Amino acid sequence: MRKQKNKWWKAIKIIIGLTILSFFISILISLFTEDGIETLNGNVALIDITGIIIAEKNTGFLFEDVTSSEEINKLIRKANRNDRVKAMIFKINSPGGSAVASEEIANEIKKTNKTTVAWIREVGTSGAYWIASSADHIVANRMSITGSIGVIASYLGFSGFLEEYNVTYERLVSGNLKDIGSPFKDLTEEERALFESSLASIHAYFVEDIAKNRDLKKEDVEKIATGLFYIGTEAKQLGLVDELGSREEVINYVERQIGEEADIVRYKKEKGFFSALSQAMNEKSFYIGKGLGNSFITQAKFPNRIGIST
Amino acid sequence: MNGIGLKRGKTFLAQASVLKRIIALIIDLLIVNIIILFPFKRIFEGIIPETESFSKTMDFLNSNSGYSASITAILVLAAFLTILYFMVFEKKLQQSPGKMLFNLYVKSQTKDLKYWQLFVRSMFLIPLFPFVLLWLIDPIVMFFTKENQRLSEILSKTKVVEKYQI
Repeated sequence: MRKQKNKWWKAIKIIIGLTILSFFISILISLFTEDGIETLNGNVALIDITGIIIAEKNTGFLFEDVTSSEEINKLIRKANRNDRVKAMIFKINSPGGSAVASEEIANEIKKTNKTTVAWIREVGTSGAYWIASSADHIVANRMSITGSIGVIASYLGFSGFLEEYNVTYERLVSGNLKDIGSPFKDLTEEERALFESSLASIHAYFVEDIAKNRDLKKEDVEKIATGLFYIGTEAKQLGLVDELGSREEVINYVERQIGEEADIVRYKKEKGFFSALSQAMNEKSFYIGKGLGNSFITQAKFPNRIGIST
Repeated sequence: MNGIGLKRGKTFLAQASVLKRIIALIIDLLIVNIIILFPFKRIFEGIIPETESFSKTMDFLNSNSGYSASITAILVLAAFLTILYFMVFEKKLQQSPGKMLFNLYVKSQTKDLKYWQLFVRSMFLIPLFPFVLLWLIDPIVMFFTKENQRLSEILSKTKVVEKYQI
């Protein structure tokens, strides 16, 4: 009798152990599947565009929030292929980033055959605004920071610092302009002119695209394309956004366009171990040290990026 | 016989009733459904689209190989956990909870039960070809062998016996 009781007790222990193991494994799987597979039961795809916009994934710093055009375009194409999806919402909270990456995303949005809405949250400036402008409708909060139509390629120059420590820059180049933009030497007048000319070209593409996307006169956009940012209310007056509001306004617009109740499904970018860890740490530490530190990292890492650093 | 703690003279082992084995398996699968498959339910609900009919869901999965592959991978993992359930119970107690209710025991035809033997006798649970064929072959073989052994049991050199008390 005691043996039988012992046996059942052992069985209960094994069942508890297996239940815990099963729960643990299912939690692990759900962490990965939430990133890789999205639920397909909705008719509105929600795609997040956060942090610095770059062209390829895995180029961001360990704990830096980045969005790659490669990943976002993959999600856009996925949502576009899904017949159940009638509209796409781009939730933007980004200061911008690479001009190439921004234009790639903007072009992909324009290619879709669904209703597209850009929802600017705290920040949607520069490259991120370029992306927003390609949507059918832009909704921003009255205090959102947007605009900042301009190009920046500033970088830290170390030539004076090196000189102070008696370190010399041994210039060995076969092409005269091969080391243009090197932080270890001063820019020559010629180099500066070339740089500014390239920036002016990129700026012109930027302005042209914004004007076309927003149905504004090119001259009007040129006037406001000083690189200055605008808060939501100003942006609305300038025609840079269509509506002031938040989630509710976004959903109302979508429902009016698709003629049915919006059932939002989130399309998420794939996360590796470090980005998942980074997200967890970001959530816990609430942007500790983000302000100053991030601006330094961004400047060093993306000297040719468009946008202001946060 | 001593391996499962039987006292000589009071109890003896004999061929297990097929009906009892089937009921024991159903009970075990119900337990597995609660403790192992239930946590996976939410994952499947999340990834399998809700369509008007089963055939439409199948059409969708057939046309989206990425989803099918993910679902298969999760199913295989759940199957391995189910196999682990039987392996742990049968290694530690020589019987699973379902078998415990009917005094059924798993016995090795060689010496002690080895992990490979326990794995082989439960491999019909793997939802992949050719293992799925065992769902058909195992019961057929069971009805045509002398000791009512499934094919997986013949391969693993194990059998299920019943403990009778006089």
